[in-house]
Amino acid sequence: MKNISLKNTFKLALRGLLRNRRRSMMTMLAIALGFSAIALFAGYTHYVYSGLSRQSIHGEMIGHLSISKRGMSMQGKLDPERYMLTAKNVDSITKLLSNEPHIKMITPRLALSGMASNGRASTIFIAEGIEPKAMAQFQEDFLTDREKASGLYEDSKKKLDAAHPEIVELSQGLVEMLHLKVGGQATMLVSTLSGQANALDITVGHSFNTGNANTNDKFAFISLALARTLLDAEGRADRLTILLDDVDNTELMRTHLQEKLNKSGFDVEIQTWQELSSFYNQVQSMFDMIFGFIFSIVLTVVIMSVANSMGMTVIERTREIGTLRAIGLKRSGVVRLFTVESMLLTMLGCVVGLLIMLGVRWGVNVADITYVPPNSSGKTALMVDLDLGRVMFTFLLMAVVGTLAAYMPARRAAKKDIIDALGHV
Amino acid sequence: MIEIHQPILKLRNIKRRFMLGETSIDALNSVSLDIHEGEFLAVWGPSGSGKSTLMNIIGLIDNPTEGEVIFDGQDIHLLNDDALTNFRSEKIGFVFQNFNLVPVLSALENVMLPLQIQGVVEELARGRAIAALVDVGLERFKNSLPDKLSGGQRQRVAIARALVVNPKLVIADEPTANLDSDNSSMVVELMREMNRVRKVTFVFTTHDTRLLDHVDRKILLRDGNIISDEVTA
Repeated sequence: MKNISLKNTFKLALRGLLRNRRRSMMTMLAIALGFSAIALFAGYTHYVYSGLSRQSIHGEMIGHLSISKRGMSMQGKLDPERYMLTAKNVDSITKLLSNEPHIKMITPRLALSGMASNGRASTIFIAEGIEPKAMAQFQEDFLTDREKASGLYEDSKKKLDAAHPEIVELSQGLVEMLHLKVGGQATMLVSTLSGQANALDITVGHSFNTGNANTNDKFAFISLALARTLLDAEGRADRLTILLDDVDNTELMRTHLQEKLNKSGFDVEIQTWQELSSFYNQVQSMFDMIFGFIFSIVLTVVIMSVANSMGMTVIERTREIGTLRAIGLKRSGVVRLFTVESMLLTMLGCVVGLLIMLGVRWGVNVADITYVPPNSSGKTALMVDLDLGRVMFTFLLMAVVGTLAAYMPARRAAKKDIIDALGHV
Repeated sequence: MIEIHQPILKLRNIKRRFMLGETSIDALNSVSLDIHEGEFLAVWGPSGSGKSTLMNIIGLIDNPTEGEVIFDGQDIHLLNDDALTNFRSEKIGFVFQNFNLVPVLSALENVMLPLQIQGVVEELARGRAIAALVDVGLERFKNSLPDKLSGGQRQRVAIARALVVNPKLVIADEPTANLDSDNSSMVVELMREMNRVRKVTFVFTTHDTRLLDHVDRKILLRDGNIISDEVTA
């Protein structure tokens, strides 16, 4: 014999929920508020991750992938001459990868550090040598339309001039420390690859905010040509930076390019932007941990609310369970009836929670709220994304957990003797 | 004249013992009984005589401590819980003292419920349920929720729910206990009519001796023993 159909089980479960509306409503609200809290926090962290990844890839111009000679990341600072890519390496690798799909740009880079002086005072600087054209391309996808419109990130723009390699971009703190102005002169002093001191005059083209309090007083962007001259490293680079068409292709392309370069005899290593951006990793780890903490608390509240609600429902409907068992509903049918009821309650709660989340998200996003994040040198907008992946995951997990929370009371009800259940008052 | 067929239920030496703390109480003492197809049978007696215990065993919702239950040729001991549930669903209809209708379902939906539990398709179940409601005279109340019906009407819906699966036997434990005398008579007459017209076997308990005038056979229970078993028709 067949059992009661799923459709009829759903109908009975839905009617069951409507029986004690106030209790169902309170349980549903607890689920909805918990769900919306999780979805909002997930949306906020999604926005932060997205902003930080764009900051790393496009703002700091790390790019998606970075190719360097094997060992460069560990020993390169002690022996840059040995671990730097030769001019021939740079040309060969660039040609080899230039027709690869997903690669938008491949460009040589040269990092250097030294002393910057205004003639009266000196301070250390860290600089990135980059081709002016590549710098422009990196920044194309840096800001979203909303961020551009907010005006909050105007001072993060950077620009170099290929015709005037002596014009550099200095971080705002460095400019202030050396009392420089746009158009003012300064000197950069570095050690060449062979260890000789080398100084060149520079012109401040523009100052920018790095967005990070630790680097905003020492960072500079200079043209690759100037960097090569300062280091006496004509045609060389410490790495090749690759910009992809989509951040999601990062791992795929790393594997593919590594194989291709190895086959062509290059002893190089490829690092992703995530491996190179320790700040992103630290922030992500922290937010993931907070998310897990909030998620655990909300899940516990949901389990307890649903279990309590269903426990009371089962007790109240004991006689009905006895009747249903007497007229032919199997024990499994009783369990199914109450777990479906619980699942419906949880899913309804999640749907209401989703609507609350969408409303709050809209309110937050149009309110133009700004704040200064830790370790940041400027304000940033408080925005909430719609993190569909985690919203769906939360929805499914809550539905499963909500269903399971009703399983024990439902099983207890199903095991009850029919005559005891029928005699329940 | 009532046609009496072979027994659909045989009870042999049924004992039912309950433990109340450390005290054992024998609710039924070696009861043997045959119930025949088409009978309209009342079990009566004072409170505590074992009427409900006997009905629970006849209705296959309780197991005897000792003895044998053969229903429609099937030894009930040999069935596991799921098989027994299916067996009960197909062969037995229940009418309860408190009606026991599902309060959030309409009269029609309550009557459809046993069919839906059996997996009967929606349209067929609806048609059979409407026919059952017509039989008990409540077709126009098919969309009413139980709390909008009188006690007598609720019990008629319960009778329709019991009959809709075309059971071999309908068990009614004190079906008139919560009804006034007019509704009691109406409910018993309705059951009697269903017994006559549809040849459904009815067994019900009562402590109202006036209702015993309607039955073919009455069994008097006292202290868990059958004191008399009288065929009146």
